[in-house]
Parts: sequence; C-alpha cells; structure tokens
Amino acid sequence: MLDDDREQFRGDARRRLLLVGGVLGAGFLVLGGRLFHLQVMRGGEYRTLAEDNRISLKPITAPRGRIFDRDSRTLVENSPDFEVVVVPELAGPLRMLFKRLSRHIDLSEEEIKHLLQQAKRQRSFLPLRVKSHLSWEEVSSIEVRIHEFPGLDLHSQSVRYYPFDALACHVLGYLGEPSDGDRKRFSRMTYRSGELVGKSGVEQHYEERLRGQEGVLEMEVNAVGRHVRELHRNPPEPGADLYLSIDSDLQREAQEAMGEETGAVVAMDPNNGEILAMVSSPTYDPNQFIRGFTHAQWQALSSNPDRPLTNKAHQGHYPPGSTFKIVVAMAGLLSGKLDPKESVFCNGHLLKDELRFYCWRRHGHGSVNLIQALTQSCDVYFYKLAERLGIDAIERQAHKMGLGAVSGVGLDGERPGLIPSRAWKRKVYNASWFPGETYITGIGQGYVLSTPLQLAMMVATVANGGTVYRPTLLKLEPGETPEVIHRNYFSTYHLEVLRQGLEAVVHDPTGTAAKARLDGGIRSAGKTGTSQVARHKREKSGQIIKSTNEKLQDHALFVSYAPVDRPKIAVSVVVEHGGHGGSAAAPVAKRVMDRYFAKYGSSS
Amino acid sequence: MNESESGHSWLSLGGTVSLGWTERLRRFPWSLLLLLLLTIFFGFGVLYSAVGGENNLWLFWRQVIQSSLGLGLMVGVALMAGEKVFRRFAYLFYSGSLLLLAVTMIMGSVGMGARRWLEVGFFRLQTSELMKVALILALARYFHDHAKAGSLGWRDLGVPFAMILCPMAFIIKQPDLGTAVLLAGVGLSIIVVAGISWRVLFTLVIVLGASMPLAWNGLHTYQKQRIITLFSPERDPLGSGYHIIQSKIAVGSGGVTGKGFMAGSQSQLDFLPERHTDFIFSVLAEEWGFLGGVTLLVLYALLITRCFLIAEMANDRFGLLTVVGATMLFAVQVVVNVGMVLGLLPVVGIPLPLISYGGSSMVTLMIAMGLLAHVSLYSRQHGRSV
Repeated sequence: MLDDDREQFRGDARRRLLLVGGVLGAGFLVLGGRLFHLQVMRGGEYRTLAEDNRISLKPITAPRGRIFDRDSRTLVENSPDFEVVVVPELAGPLRMLFKRLSRHIDLSEEEIKHLLQQAKRQRSFLPLRVKSHLSWEEVSSIEVRIHEFPGLDLHSQSVRYYPFDALACHVLGYLGEPSDGDRKRFSRMTYRSGELVGKSGVEQHYEERLRGQEGVLEMEVNAVGRHVRELHRNPPEPGADLYLSIDSDLQREAQEAMGEETGAVVAMDPNNGEILAMVSSPTYDPNQFIRGFTHAQWQALSSNPDRPLTNKAHQGHYPPGSTFKIVVAMAGLLSGKLDPKESVFCNGHLLKDELRFYCWRRHGHGSVNLIQALTQSCDVYFYKLAERLGIDAIERQAHKMGLGAVSGVGLDGERPGLIPSRAWKRKVYNASWFPGETYITGIGQGYVLSTPLQLAMMVATVANGGTVYRPTLLKLEPGETPEVIHRNYFSTYHLEVLRQGLEAVVHDPTGTAAKARLDGGIRSAGKTGTSQVARHKREKSGQIIKSTNEKLQDHALFVSYAPVDRPKIAVSVVVEHGGHGGSAAAPVAKRVMDRYFAKYGSSS
Repeated sequence: MNESESGHSWLSLGGTVSLGWTERLRRFPWSLLLLLLLTIFFGFGVLYSAVGGENNLWLFWRQVIQSSLGLGLMVGVALMAGEKVFRRFAYLFYSGSLLLLAVTMIMGSVGMGARRWLEVGFFRLQTSELMKVALILALARYFHDHAKAGSLGWRDLGVPFAMILCPMAFIIKQPDLGTAVLLAGVGLSIIVVAGISWRVLFTLVIVLGASMPLAWNGLHTYQKQRIITLFSPERDPLGSGYHIIQSKIAVGSGGVTGKGFMAGSQSQLDFLPERHTDFIFSVLAEEWGFLGGVTLLVLYALLITRCFLIAEMANDRFGLLTVVGATMLFAVQVVVNVGMVLGLLPVVGIPLPLISYGGSSMVTLMIAMGLLAHVSLYSRQHGRSV
C-alpha cells in the first residue's frame, strides 16, 4: 500500500518534472530563436547600425562664468588647453610617428617609451593621449601638418586661467575634482568624470551661478569612434559672469605691502559693505591647480605652517588686542556710565585680588581721559572701564558692531570669532566668570577672537556712524541697496569723541600709529593692536622679556578708516607675529589707503 | 545499504545513512561539477573581454577568486553535511533569513537607491541571497512533512503561499523586483512538482493574469518605465531605452560567428552599459556570435538536464523538491537574464548565472548546486532503497 503511494507520487512527480522541464525547454527555444532572429536573420542590419552609423551623444561643456574685478578687469577666464591624441590603428608604426612628432612638440625619449608601452596595453582603436597642455607654437606647428600624420588629432578643452597668478587667489579660489561632499552640496548638478568643481573662494560659493548648463551634440560615430557628421546641436548655456567688488589695484598694493609677512588685510567701503581688497598671506598660484602638482609641490603647499591655502581674512581667528578698545569705549559712552572728560590715573598696573594687571607701558601713562587713553592705548584705563561696564555689556556691544558672528560674506568656511560672556563661560567651561577676565577682555585679550574681516566691519561701523553692512565680494549694481545686518544709533557727540581719539592715534605726537599717516595730508583715524600669542615672562621689576622665537612674537593689528570727516575706506590689517601694530601693521594700511586716494581722490 | 536496512516508506521520513569519505567521493556527481567548471571557464573568457582586458584585470581576478570560493562551498556543502541536516534546520534557516530581511528593511544600508545590504562587520550581506536558499529548503521540508496522496488543493497550499509571499513582500519593498520575481518562479515550480491540482494551477494563472493591471499600479515609476521601454525602446533612446537598444545592436551585429575576442566595438567602445554584470551576454553574443551564444545556451541546457536527472533519482520528497528549487533558481535566472539582454523581457537586475561578475549571486548559486549534489549523494541510483 505504501509502495503504491510511493510509486504513484514518483510517477506523478516525473510527469510534473517533465512539465516544468518542458516550460523551460520552450523558454530556451524562444531564446535560441530570438538569438537566431537577431544575429543570423537581421545580423547585417545591426552590423550596419553598429559599424557605420551610430548615434553618439556628446555633452558640450558650458563655458564657466568669468570673474571680473570692480573695474571689469579679468581676474579669471577660460582658456583652451590643447592635447594631441593618436588612434594607433590608423597611425601605422607608432615609434616612427612619435619620432617625427618630436620635431614639432617637446617629446622626450622617455615619454616615447612610456607611450609605446601604453599603446600595447590599450585597444588599438581607442585614442591614446600623446601630450597635454600644448603651447601655442606646438599647436600651430601640428595643425598645419595634421595631414602628414594620419590618426593624429588635436583635442581642446577649456580650462580656468588666472592671468594675474596669485592676485586675490583666496577670494577667487580654485577648482578640483568633486568629492562626495561636493556632489551632495551641489546635488542639482551632475559632474561627469573629469569635470571640476569650485573648491574654495567665490569659485566654490557661486558654483551654481558660474557653472551654467551643458549642451548636447548628437553625432554619427563609426565603429572606431570617429565622428562622421554632426546631426543636431543643443547649445550649452554658459555660466554667469561674476563682477567682484574687489579693486585689483588695491588688492595688488595690499598683497605687495604684506610682502613676506603672514597675515591678512581687508579693505572695505564703509558705506555699503563692498570689499575692495581681501588679502591672505602667504598666497599660492591657482593656475598650479590646473597644471597639476608634483607630490613635493603639493606637500610643500599643504603642510606649510603658514597655511597658504587658508583664507585668513575670514578663517583666521586672532585676539583683537587693543583694537577692541573701540568697542569698549563705545559701550562705555552708550551706557552713560562714562564721562569722556573724566581722568583715570595709570601707574603701569592695576592690583586686583592680589593679581597685578599690567599696562603695556610699565611706567604708566599718568592721568588720562578717554581720548588720551585711546591715543596712547592705555590698558589700565580700559581695565577700569571694563570693570565698570561688566562683561555682558561689552559682549552686547561687540555683537552690535559685527563681532562674534559669521558675517555671511559669501565665502565658505567662515569662522565666527568669539565674544565671551558669563553665559558662554558657564556653558563651555561650566565655571563662573572672574573679574580679572573682564579686565583682559577690556583690552581684547583672553577669550576674545575675531577675524580680520570682522575687524574691518567693526571699524567701518564707526566710520559710517553706526551701520553694520553685510560685507560682500560682489559689486553692487547701481541702485542696489546694500544689506544691513544691524543699525546702531550712535549720537553725534559720542561719535565725535571716539573719532577724536582714533584720529589722535594717527596724528597726535603721542599716538601709537604715526606710521599710518597718509600722503597728501588726508586725515585718517585708526587703532593699533598688539595681541599676545604667548604669555610673556616678566622679571621681578615687571620688565617684559620678549621671546626671540618668531612664532611666539605678538600679532600686530591695525584698523583704520579715512578720510575722517567723510570716510570712504576702512581697512583692517593683521600681521602674524609682527610685533607692534603701529610698526608692523599700520604701514600696510597706509599703503592701501594711499593707493586708494591716489586713484579716487579724497573728496566727492 | 539494501532494502531491508531501511524500513521506512517513501512517504515518511527516510532513514539515516552515514557514508564513509571514499563513498561520498565516489557518489559525488562529477559530471555536474564538470559542466559547472566548463561554464565558469567559458565565463572567464567573456569576462576578461568585458572588463576591457588588462586595464581592469583586478576585476577579472576577483571573479576567479569568487568562483573558486563558490566551487569550494559547493563541494563542502555536498560532502560535509549528514543526510538529514538540511531538512532538520530548514525552518530555522528560513525564519532566520526572514528576520534578517526585516532587519535589513529597518537598518540596512542604501546603495544605488535600494536598501538591500546589512553591514556585518567588514562585509555587506545581501540578505535576499540567503532567502533564496532558505525558501527552497523550507518549502521542500513543508511538502515533505505534509505529504499526502492525490493532488494538492487550496487548503494544502495556504502555508506554502505565505512562505513565498512574506519574503517577496520585503524584497519588493527594497526595491528589488528581479529577486522577488525569481523567488516567485522558484517557489511556484516547487509547488507544481509537489503536486498542485491542475484546477488550482489553472485558476492561479488566470488570477495572476487578471491582477496584472493592479500590480502595475504598485510598481515604481522606473519599473513601469522599463516595461514601457521594452515594447518601444525608441521612445527614450538615451534614457531608459538605451540599455535595450545598445544591447540589441551589440547582439545583432555579432552575426553568426562574431567579431572575435576583445574586438566587439559595441562592448569595447563603451556603448554597452553594465557589460561585465547584467549585460555580459551581449558581449558574448557580439564577440562570439550566434555560435557562441548557442554554445552557452546548450551548456546551460545540459546543466539543467543533469539537475533534473538528479531530481528524478532523489530518494525522498525533500530531496526531490530541493533539487527542483535549486535547479529553477539557476534556470529562471538564465531565462530572465538572456531574455532581458535580447529585448524580450523588461530590464530587471538579474545577473547571468556563473558568467556575470559578482560575488554574492555566484556564492548563492554554488551553495544551491552543493545542495543538489548533496541530494545526489544519497539518491536511489546508489542502491539506496526505494
């Protein structure tokens, strides 16, 4: 009985297996039939399609937008980059060809050997790149003889060209291979292999504007990839040109003034926030990114301790030092707790809870009022003022003058600076605020950090009477209203007091920035700063022992604007490890301003 | 091994046989292995050309390593396991795989828009691959345990259908239509051989056909696109129709004898996308022509026939159905892939068995082949009782 069941199932299963097998067999027959149909019956037809007339769609890259300065001078353009390629199959003996070719282009024996090896590895109907980045002479020399070299072809592609090399390199930025992050960020655009994306500066920030929309070229292509004829062209949409607010003359002057120094310069129009010059030093040549680096070159650039690839103007964090006294003075005036005529006696230091807070001048300034304290940068005066105001009042005023927050200048990676407060210290260090910390904040030391760009905004705010404009690298269109971040209401009297103090910094015999006096008697106002990098050792007498190590020297700062009565330009300068603001930074600002007034005059 | 030793019926559980090593080796289906090796070597030749010769040789060598690993697994699965191991653990394996599919759904990693992989330490586990084998074993076990005389009606098929549909639901959601269709094909074949009543089968076919419009609405836009494209590839020659048009040109231009090794202009000039994975058959057809294509189809047909012979000789229901499942896993992929390349079926991501570049599908297939060989080891032809 069991055996019957078993046999019955077995028989049944065999029938069912046959059914499944039959369905499969039918499937295979259909596949075989289809293969026969495509390959044997219609093979000739498809062969024609494959070999003679194949439609190939080639993307046409959109020319990237060019970048101009405020006077429409070209800062970045596109230039053709030529390469010569050969299709080995059509070329005949390659060694002979390269030999003959080396009469017209620079082709070493070594390179020829390498090419021949490469040709062996590669399928012979694919083009082989012989040489890239051809010079104009090489291009024209080959072009007239192209018929003597069957299989040879000249290809061109458009590459970025920076005619003034390192001029404004940090503002412009450079291009590079897109990373995953770039693809995510510019997800609305597709990057084919070999296409580049802005990696820094305005090239990065305005990538979407600059890039444009690629077009398509419909071509008939034969089996070896040669173009037979063009069928249809869908032209690309070129990227938009950018007109920067940068003034090349000022930019160049500022770059030259910085010379070998490390640091940053920002010059802006205090009346609308346009940035006229933005320098970060040392610089690099963005053309290098197009030509490519050797390993050693790249190492030298990327591991240079002076960080040439960083734009220190908006990414450098520096203690503002005495330039911060402008903020403290303004906070004092606005609070009503400060009578500008009231004098404070400076004997060279201030004692608080057993701690000595020194003035930079060990012997003291004697009796000073606000204007004198600014002129001579008396620290003791500002210790006392800061104490009277309290840290939180200072912090509020600093934010109202453009410090402690990113400005939104239109460059990636901007750093916000830091203005400490009680709440901040509680949050970050979980500790309470010490009175001594208010003192050192009063002279722009301690936790305070700002970027050179923020310092320029701060001094521009004083210059224009209280408006914090959003700094911009794009030239404003005629009639375009500049964007305002914050509007302060400073009284004429307060502004006048502050102006007197800052003007005296430059023009008073006791001022700290005599070296900033402009040519042609144009009156300027400014404030020096010397920000401490390392804690100095002091002898018992209080005499500072300055380290001889260059990296431990103080940073030199200077902020200023001119002309004092109707300010047209505001400048901030930071020279890393430059020593005194008055001696290292002020002359840089002077050169930039002199250049400005030589070009535009001081009136109107 | 003789009649008296095994007092068990065909319909009940089979007796346990333990074989010596020499006996296992003697019984190993060497002809199956030979056919597999032939096909794999055939595949190496095509792949070498498809990856562009020496330029991407590493891809080629990786495939050689993956294939060797696969062969090792096959032999291991066939020889190492005891007779009833697979049956005993079938449900456990199935439940585990289903659980992993669910986990993948929740926390799998996303690649190319689909959520298919689970990061396990340093490698990525494609959980749907596990399910392919698990489903075969679980269905075979079910029908083995619930054997009955006569054909199977609706009531007998509730559980098996659920066993097929559950993992399918997860996999469709991933979305991976190709694998889901594959599971359906494999599952249905097992049910057919297990003894579905003709009336039920007939109704099923009618219902499936009628529900097509409904299923259509459930498809992703890109999946609909592929089906529309199948019937009129010229509508979108650069987008979804590109694969099919280029593939047909490649295949058709191969003619009777082909253009020769490494000389297919369609394949070598980058006209053909995915040429080393899903569209590798086009490379073969272009470079080796009709003769090459038919040779491979014949090799496949021989392999499948050999597998069916093993099924026919299987010792019990579990063995028989396992072999049917494993064979169909292989056969359905061949038919769907080649059908797709030749423009007969919509483009779904199913690789060509043993030929396409890719590790996980190769490993799964070879494990299935190992199961098949394992069944063969204990089959009737070796004097095992009937």
